[in-house]
Amino acid sequence: MIDIRLTVNGKEYSLSIEEDKRLIDVLREDLGFIGVMEGCGEGECGACTVIMDGKTVNSCLVMGFQANGKNIITIEGLAKDGKLDPVQQAFIDVGAVQCGFCIPGAILSIRALLNENPKPTEEEIRESISGNLCRCTGYNKMLEAVERARRYENGA
Amino acid sequence: MLAHQGKSVEEVLNLLTQYENCKIIAGGTDLIIQMREKRISPAVLIDISSIQELKEIKVDGPFIEIGAAVTFTDIVESPIFEGNLSGLKKACRLVGSPQIRNAGTIGGNIVNASPAADSVPPLLCLNSILVFRSFRGIRQVKLEDYFKYKQKLQIKEDELLTAIRFRRPEGTLSFSKLGLRKALAISRISMAAMVKLDEEGTIKDIALASGALGKYPMREREVEEFLLGKQLDVNTVDEGLKILREATDKRLAGRSSYPYKRRAVERLFREVLSGVVA
Amino acid sequence: MVLNVVGKRVPRIDALSKVTGRAIYPQDIYMDNMAYGKTLRSEIAHGYVSLDTSEAEKIDGVLRIFTYKDVPKNEHGVVYKDHEVFISKKVRRVGDPLAFVVAENEKICDLALEKIKVTYEELEGVFDPVEAMKEDAPKVHDKSNVLYHFKIRKGNVEEAFKRCYAIVENTYKVHMVDHAFLQPEAGVAYVDEEGNIVVMVATQYPHYDREEIANALQVPVERVRVINTNVGGAFGAREDITLQIHLALAAKELKRPIKTVYSREESFLAHCKRHAMVMKYKTGADKDGKLLAMEAEIIGDTGAYASWAANVMRKAGVHATGPYYIPNVKVDSYAVYTNNPFAGAMRGFGATQVPIAHEQQMDMLAEKLGMDPVTIRLKNIFKKGSVTATGQVLTEGVPLEECLIKAIEGFTFNIKREEA
Repeated sequence: MIDIRLTVNGKEYSLSIEEDKRLIDVLREDLGFIGVMEGCGEGECGACTVIMDGKTVNSCLVMGFQANGKNIITIEGLAKDGKLDPVQQAFIDVGAVQCGFCIPGAILSIRALLNENPKPTEEEIRESISGNLCRCTGYNKMLEAVERARRYENGA
Repeated sequence: MLAHQGKSVEEVLNLLTQYENCKIIAGGTDLIIQMREKRISPAVLIDISSIQELKEIKVDGPFIEIGAAVTFTDIVESPIFEGNLSGLKKACRLVGSPQIRNAGTIGGNIVNASPAADSVPPLLCLNSILVFRSFRGIRQVKLEDYFKYKQKLQIKEDELLTAIRFRRPEGTLSFSKLGLRKALAISRISMAAMVKLDEEGTIKDIALASGALGKYPMREREVEEFLLGKQLDVNTVDEGLKILREATDKRLAGRSSYPYKRRAVERLFREVLSGVVA
Repeated sequence: MVLNVVGKRVPRIDALSKVTGRAIYPQDIYMDNMAYGKTLRSEIAHGYVSLDTSEAEKIDGVLRIFTYKDVPKNEHGVVYKDHEVFISKKVRRVGDPLAFVVAENEKICDLALEKIKVTYEELEGVFDPVEAMKEDAPKVHDKSNVLYHFKIRKGNVEEAFKRCYAIVENTYKVHMVDHAFLQPEAGVAYVDEEGNIVVMVATQYPHYDREEIANALQVPVERVRVINTNVGGAFGAREDITLQIHLALAAKELKRPIKTVYSREESFLAHCKRHAMVMKYKTGADKDGKLLAMEAEIIGDTGAYASWAANVMRKAGVHATGPYYIPNVKVDSYAVYTNNPFAGAMRGFGATQVPIAHEQQMDMLAEKLGMDPVTIRLKNIFKKGSVTATGQVLTEGVPLEECLIKAIEGFTFNIKREEA
């Protein structure tokens, strides 16, 4: 077992984990963040995306102990004081959600993009979700959601 | 399995000498899959992704040194690789997906090197040197030789790849990749070129490297020799393509993917050479 | 009348839980005292198999290893009960389930899977549906490999082909496709306070699953409850049984909650594929481009099990003409067993494959007649009142002509493409 400390969604956790646990397992099993999905286990689908120190990573390709000292945001950490993040609200409003399994990862990819680049081009938006596979709705609705989210962020 | 999150190079080198069957992990994008498929089962896993000195890109006069744990995203976002080095930036931008580029490192791309590793052809064109450290000292190996003489030169049990070093070239570096799709596609073929032209358009200096056109990424020396001193025009490129195909015919004949690659290489070759003028 | 839903944009009722990560898929269910199950699967495509589980059973933490001997009625299947819950004698494809290991955690399951000794006596397999139709081909189910034959006979094609000005004849092949839904199969089963077997699973047919579980376990249907969780995509691939019976059996015998989560690799092995098809087409038209006759032989590879093969191949046959009126039609579609991964439902259900053939035929006929590919289609397209090859009269809702005209307005067919 190895001791780690990490911040998830603004809260600090100290825990003892098995050395061979991946970050996704720590988040889901030890900390109960079930919004982190496992779709492939090899970094192809992006369903397990989390934001680590400001950058998106596939949490299935990070070992738990590597996250020691890191600041992590999962889908559960986006809503503030019961109010949805504009990206979450936009996904609902434009109908970008079907089966939902890719959605937390896709939303976090877009959130990370908008944090760094509040006025992305369409090309940049497409690039930001290029590591998130969706098999139901497709990507156009997600693009529409980004437009909508930006309007919400500007108070419209 | 034991796990250590390394805090300094010294500490890592110490662990490497102390334990047997260690494996270095940085981005984890290849390694964790290998462990999951039980292709490797290290006794000790040493993480270097939080070691600051391995995450820096340093400019030292005409030299540029990229720390082994620098991620593809770090390179894409660094102003150092603007202008005539943007070919390296392009190669790194075409790796995997944003998530993979945010984690995956340049050192991992080299040490794990698949024949299709995207960052390698541009680094080959830059005559890069790999810097390995161990308690026995520092070992420097030319990247080109590292693949060519893998048996003899590959990373030793007690060594850590700390940096990739090259001299800023006078010419322009370009990169081209053929993948089955844009994101998350392993290169079917990749190609990089570094060309210096004089005012008349004569090739004064050239380096050409390919990925996935052989057992390992390599310089295309025969093509380079032909192109050197010639005018970079349509005829030269046509002739150069013939020479490239002669070289790949020798290396790849009989492979099931070769008839496709033999045709496809034309577009990449033309693209990468026009990229050095743009 | 006030309409609250029709004509309005109504947000999905489950969208909120999905954007906040609170939606529950089976992998998200954790129960007290829960054990884990993993499946041993065949690594060969055709052969006799026997297992020795004694070593594996000795591993600390292994609760039970289930095999065919533990299943009261070892069968399932959406139409034909040709699947076994666990293989008793002969494996028919790579990925056939052989045993289900239940242990305290997944690591122990993996350990036990490695310790089960599997002995195969390999048989020659058949992997090409055309080969499989031959008399002397290896038999997948100890009977003819031809599972289903669907026929359409309309008019007289032989006579009509004689009158044709242009005829094109080609064979088209399409490969199998996986649905690759994003959420790999997973489930949790337990026995509730009243003694009912409860299976929580992401499925397309909770009611069918319930019957299949009850039948295999030989318990009354009322004693089985299937709870559909959120479903992470399905597209047809969750119509067949995968882990439902395994989980129910283990929960019933061990009286503990049992959880199974497939990896992506196992997911590919476990569920059906879209049918690969070989489609032999002959289509003829008169000088003006009016279709006179079409003959098609469509062979669908259903792999090791039938699943929906008959229904899918019937649909492929019914749709074989495409949306065109043809007075003389002869269609033979077949579903054929092979030792390939089994095929079943996937988006379109047989209607997806045939356009590859009938549309290419139209283009080639147009070329032969020196005609525009749109014109030839408009001359033959179904309209209100058209009669299909199966004799159905299309009485309403046939806006194909309008659709095609609208669509081509947006295209630039006649602009010669720049040499790529």
